[in-house]
Amino acid sequence: MIIKAIDTLNEVVGRVVSVVAIVFAAMIIFDVIMRYVFNAPTRWAFDVTKQLYGFYFVMLGGYALRHQSHVRVDLVTETLGNTARRWVEVAGYLIFFFPFAWVFVTRSWDFGMKSWQQGETTYGSVQLPVYPLKLAMAAAAFLLLIQGISEVLKLILGREVPHHDS
Amino acid sequence: QESWTMTTTWPTSLELIEIDKHFVELANKLTGDDLSIEFFEGGALVPAGEVFGAVESGTIQAGGDWPGYWAGRNSAFSPLATTASLFNAVDYVNWIQQWGGAEIYNEIYGKFGMVYLPYGVTNNESGFRTNKKIETLDDLQGMRLRLSGLEQGRLLEELGGSQVSMAGGEIYQSLERGVIDGAEFSTPNVDFSGGFQQVTKFWATPGWHQSASVFGVMINKDSWDALKPETREMLQVAADANLIWSLAFTEKRATEAYQQFKDAGIEITRYDDATLEKIQVMANGVIETTACENPDSAMVYLSMMEYLGDYAKWRDASAPFNLGRTPNGPDIEKLRACAAQ
Amino acid sequence: MFGLLLTGLFMGHPLAFVLGGTAVLGTLIAGKPMVLGIVINRIFGDVLDNFTLIAIPLFILMARFLSDSGVTDKMFESLRLLLSNVRGGLALAVVFISILLAATTGIIGASITVMGVMALRPMLQYGYSPTLTTGVIAASGCLGILIPPSIMLILMASYSPLSVGELFAGAMIPGVLLGLLYAVWVVIVAIFDPKSAPAVEPDEKIARAALVRMLLIEALPPLVLILGILGSLLAGIATATEASAIGAALALGIVILRRKFEWKTFYSAMLETGRTSAMILFIVVGATAFTGVFNITGGLRATQEIIRSLDMAPWLLIVMMLFIVFILGAFLDWTGIVLLSFPIFLPIVQEMDVNLLWFVVLMALVLQTSFLTPPFGYALFYLRAIAPKEVRTGQIIAGVMPFIGLIILMCIAVAFIPQLVLWLPHTLYTN
Ligand code: NA
Ligand code: NA
Repeated sequence: MIIKAIDTLNEVVGRVVSVVAIVFAAMIIFDVIMRYVFNAPTRWAFDVTKQLYGFYFVMLGGYALRHQSHVRVDLVTETLGNTARRWVEVAGYLIFFFPFAWVFVTRSWDFGMKSWQQGETTYGSVQLPVYPLKLAMAAAAFLLLIQGISEVLKLILGREVPHHDS
Repeated sequence: QESWTMTTTWPTSLELIEIDKHFVELANKLTGDDLSIEFFEGGALVPAGEVFGAVESGTIQAGGDWPGYWAGRNSAFSPLATTASLFNAVDYVNWIQQWGGAEIYNEIYGKFGMVYLPYGVTNNESGFRTNKKIETLDDLQGMRLRLSGLEQGRLLEELGGSQVSMAGGEIYQSLERGVIDGAEFSTPNVDFSGGFQQVTKFWATPGWHQSASVFGVMINKDSWDALKPETREMLQVAADANLIWSLAFTEKRATEAYQQFKDAGIEITRYDDATLEKIQVMANGVIETTACENPDSAMVYLSMMEYLGDYAKWRDASAPFNLGRTPNGPDIEKLRACAAQ
Repeated sequence: MFGLLLTGLFMGHPLAFVLGGTAVLGTLIAGKPMVLGIVINRIFGDVLDNFTLIAIPLFILMARFLSDSGVTDKMFESLRLLLSNVRGGLALAVVFISILLAATTGIIGASITVMGVMALRPMLQYGYSPTLTTGVIAASGCLGILIPPSIMLILMASYSPLSVGELFAGAMIPGVLLGLLYAVWVVIVAIFDPKSAPAVEPDEKIARAALVRMLLIEALPPLVLILGILGSLLAGIATATEASAIGAALALGIVILRRKFEWKTFYSAMLETGRTSAMILFIVVGATAFTGVFNITGGLRATQEIIRSLDMAPWLLIVMMLFIVFILGAFLDWTGIVLLSFPIFLPIVQEMDVNLLWFVVLMALVLQTSFLTPPFGYALFYLRAIAPKEVRTGQIIAGVMPFIGLIILMCIAVAFIPQLVLWLPHTLYTN
């Protein structure tokens, strides 16, 4: 039940956010055309595309984990029996993933909130707010953390999906 | 015995880091066993844009900076870092040390839980490096120029140019390929090390966008309070000494680099006085507008203008042996009204 | 910290999180939990707030569009028919197509998978030895990350004082020469061991003129792409980062012109790009966290002092650094290696007054081996995934060995003739 809810959430986020790549590609091309053909570069393209790119990849961390797209060395664990391998993988999550994901969630939340309280913006002639991206990072970290919970539950219950190569 | 971790916004490849290094050296000597500062080059601990956050949160105790980088958090940081056609380096030194500037730095940085010691000053920045000659304002029309800063960008747009934002690492190549028509970066010596003489033919002086610049160290308030009063005093002494050292050091280096640019065959032009006069009027307008959007910013500009007015009495009397010009700056009453809001 | 890192790797945990987890645990081991904040400062400032890295998802997207358009398949088909009755012709076709693909894309997964799917079975069927077949596909498929445009060079530029344009220009000649060296090797094998690289009777009779015409037509789209990307760079229309968006748009244009556009594949290309980009950039996230903690807890200073105290001649030091990169390549992914080694190596290289561009390109060359050396080699993983069961993993590993030797040979050539790296950027970037 939990597994299904988490997997569905990250699947939906992944399917929506993946499209953002087209948006910032189009913005870059628009800016190049405005600059080169019309001699009138946009004031916002640099910062907006950069922010969209950051939003794009960080939000997809949980989605990539759901599809087991993150690279790993499985030459050693491959030689283990199925049960042993599953427990080694669970141990990997407990030792490495959860400490990192926990720090990622809690610290980015503080980081994003501070930026929001200060009303932080970029500092050129266009003052674009920076806090939405910083808060999005905290949300992305949370999505990653819960996807890790889902993956561990799958390993414990023996309901894992085969490793995917991207 | 305290030990601090300190970093800066500058990577090893930019000569500006010498100002930070010189301060750390002085501070470590003067404070003896009471404080040891371990200094890391820019990027080794946190990226340039994150030095502020790292010191604010106390992750590290101190961070060298140029205040303008934090203008997105409070636009008052901008005049603490540089001005468009207003202060020269001596004005900053006078204002900081005797006309209440130091307190204003601490008031603004204090809002973020930090103490600030200004410890570096450079005079005029180079100005635009281009492949099309700039002599008058008409030449600026339609030019795509890499320029950083809030007031600076607004001023350029009023002058008819377009501000192009660009990461430092991309400037060289974009100039070479004509993606942008010109760029300003820093002082002549820093520009020379960036290789701009290889990709541009002209250099338009003076750098009206950044008449002088201030550098310094942000210190986490708790770390500062943990020091003995004598140690704090020693840090202040080191900062004051470094401030004057940096002025002479960077002016010497800029002079050397000016010659290097000439030797490299760069044609150096100057805006005529009438043009600079027009730019001054526009810069005043931009400063008034920007200051009135933020009472903190207005407060800083007001203090700066009060200094200029006060000092003008003696500065003008001592001409021609005076230290720099008295600019015909923004309307002080307008600033006063906006600061009172 | 490195012990923890290796343990995590061999436990089969994803590299990104092994790096990130080690960073977090590292602060506790060093007794400095208060420095944890820099993990977030670095992730945001180095990875999210980084304009240069925008090119990574866009070049991946371009590669996806290109392989969806069927350009790759057609190009290989025509070259295969043209070269089929030459001894070793199929292997040569693999090398040449890989070089051409390398100049249009920047990721290895795409070219190895395509070549593997297209060439692997026919080559085995026609009697090519499994070792030569897998070796040539694996090694040539990795050229994409050396020959520009390349996401590895983009990442390297982002974490060094060099510009993307300079690095692209510097890696161009060594990259293409390495590809040609592979071709020479195939010819040598074909001459001395004809059984392993036979000539093939053409199964379809096509007139030579028709073949050449077909080849020209099929080679056109990638040439348009190369011209579009390099052209927009050199003509001053776009920066290297912006050229990636232009490349993606051109690739999409090619898909549409070839009437291969379908909303379903278009959407799946975006989903796959999303997963691959997140995979690569999360390794950068983990590695930047690791590096920050390593530096602030004194690891950087200690390592640099050890290297300096060795007091070795500059050339010996460079050989040693490249050897370390080679060894790291057996265990880590290129992203991790670049992020871990650059902060330690580059300051030392700059102090020695060695040309930085030359050193970084040498490192990029050495990193070609990281895709091929077991136990951790991307190319080996990809080939294992697509090769039939009869091909043993041992054969794949034996197959890539001579190519590792060729990469080292190329490194030696570049080491002794720096002009191979420096000539092109010098010619392009000085008036
Ligand atoms: Na490539
Ligand atoms: Na390897």
